[in-house]
Amino acid sequence: MLSAGGGVAVERAAPVSRRATLLSTRFVARDTWWQEFDCPDIAAASLPGQFVMLGVGLDEPGAWLLPRPFSVGWTGPGGEVGILLRAYGQGTRALAKLEVGQTALLLGPLGRPFDTEGADVECVAGGVGLAPFIFLAAREAAAGRRVRLIYGERDAGAVFDPVLIASLTDHDPELFTEDGSAGRKGLVTAGLDPASSALLLGCGPTPLLRALAAFAREHGRRLQVSVEEHMGCGIGTCQGCVVRGADGRWVKACIEGSVFPAEELDWGAI
Amino acid sequence: MLLASGTCGYGQEYADLIPLDEIGGLVTKAVSLEPRPGNPPHRVAETPGGMINAIGLENPGLHGFIAEKLPWLREHLSRAQVFVNVVGHSAEDFAAVVSGLDGEDGFLGYEINVSCPNVKGGTMFGTDERALADLVARLRGCTERPLVIKLTPNVPDVGDFARICEEAGADGLSAINTFPGMVVDISRREPLIGNRSGGVSGPAILPMGVYATWRARQTCGLPIMGIGGIRNAEDALQYVLAGACLVQIGTASFVDPGAAVAVHEGLSEYMQANGVARLEDLVGALQSRPGRGPAIPAG
Repeated sequence: MLSAGGGVAVERAAPVSRRATLLSTRFVARDTWWQEFDCPDIAAASLPGQFVMLGVGLDEPGAWLLPRPFSVGWTGPGGEVGILLRAYGQGTRALAKLEVGQTALLLGPLGRPFDTEGADVECVAGGVGLAPFIFLAAREAAAGRRVRLIYGERDAGAVFDPVLIASLTDHDPELFTEDGSAGRKGLVTAGLDPASSALLLGCGPTPLLRALAAFAREHGRRLQVSVEEHMGCGIGTCQGCVVRGADGRWVKACIEGSVFPAEELDWGAI
Repeated sequence: MLLASGTCGYGQEYADLIPLDEIGGLVTKAVSLEPRPGNPPHRVAETPGGMINAIGLENPGLHGFIAEKLPWLREHLSRAQVFVNVVGHSAEDFAAVVSGLDGEDGFLGYEINVSCPNVKGGTMFGTDERALADLVARLRGCTERPLVIKLTPNVPDVGDFARICEEAGADGLSAINTFPGMVVDISRREPLIGNRSGGVSGPAILPMGVYATWRARQTCGLPIMGIGGIRNAEDALQYVLAGACLVQIGTASFVDPGAAVAVHEGLSEYMQANGVARLEDLVGALQSRPGRGPAIPAG
């Protein structure tokens, strides 16, 4: 069993493929929806940092859509799986149009989760990279623990409703926007505390992850990042989603990640 | 029915998701003599009606396959038939892989990949009549197991290459491999795929695969595995009627891991509903249209 932190191995459940009903969909920011699916066995087995492949399947005549990876954003007591969906292109736009009562195919839980080993944790999220930290913060809050949640967006219009974040996680994120239209002005990395020794977790655009890796190196901080690459299958068969490992190997984001300790990756090639 | 090479890993990846022993079998990811690291990302992208990939035949090599992958296939599959997809830079490479595997248990036969568009020289054998004939004849001398040649569509007439395979001693054909393609990232003004070009698969190539199957059926008597764009039983039946006695499910498994199971069930339902006792009765049972003269290749 893989361990993302070099500590206690995290047990992972085998993935399942389920046709799941969309229970609710909520427009939460520009081009961004919060969707909850009825999928008890994936909800029960998921760990923060893991993801699902979400697609419409093959049943619709003429439908053709490769599933897209989404971090598990939350799991509810009734077997709900929440995802944070930002419509970037054709596939995500199609998924955003799903209506309550329609079904989608969920494959999961997939990938290597965060391995927090009970450490103090600082989560650094850019954009929809917030999703796994909603799940993680909610889990930690349920266990009576707190995490630091630092969340950055380009501007106020892109910010995921802070009230909903608070209701899901029992945490208030520290918000940054690049133009200062909400929260503090600046990049999310401005919220990093050089004096802290907490375990850093990062999820978001590649430039953010690169900046986090540089910060972690400079300050001797442990860092785990969730990476994304174009993905075909999510289970390691297509070998499409590779990133360059520190040992020069191509490593598969879907099964060797998507969470990696920063030192396992070649940051010069990412 | 088989899961197609490159879409099912080495079987183990799908073990938790579908009953491999109930669908027929699988064709492994390509095995080369030496390990191959594969191409830089992006390696895959969705395209209209399909996807493009340029994985670059990443694989653990002959010895890695025997040590790491074959034991699982041997120990966990009982009814599923396994074909090992073999690739090489040279005829010597192909022969070394087949000879190196032939004494091992855990698989039925070989699918020879003379048609991968994503590596340098990948289609050389598949597009050169003499080279293909020599390669098949050479491999025939290396094994008595079923020897299936996976054809490339990138030739003037697939039928000619099908006949060459038969004459050189092949036992069967897979028709068809991916089509070369390219996707341009207009924001960066560069190819989206790290390898620049890749192979296009998925429903977009269904009619081309059916056509290739039909052409191969016209020119040779070898059993044909139909492959390319199959999503459901109706698609599979097109291949069967055009001349395929088996079908392979590829890209559809990415969209729905249960696609092969659904095709399998759909074929059974079709046979029951239409009073078809044996699928073999439908193989190549395409009705010819009167007054159209002899079939000629397109183009």
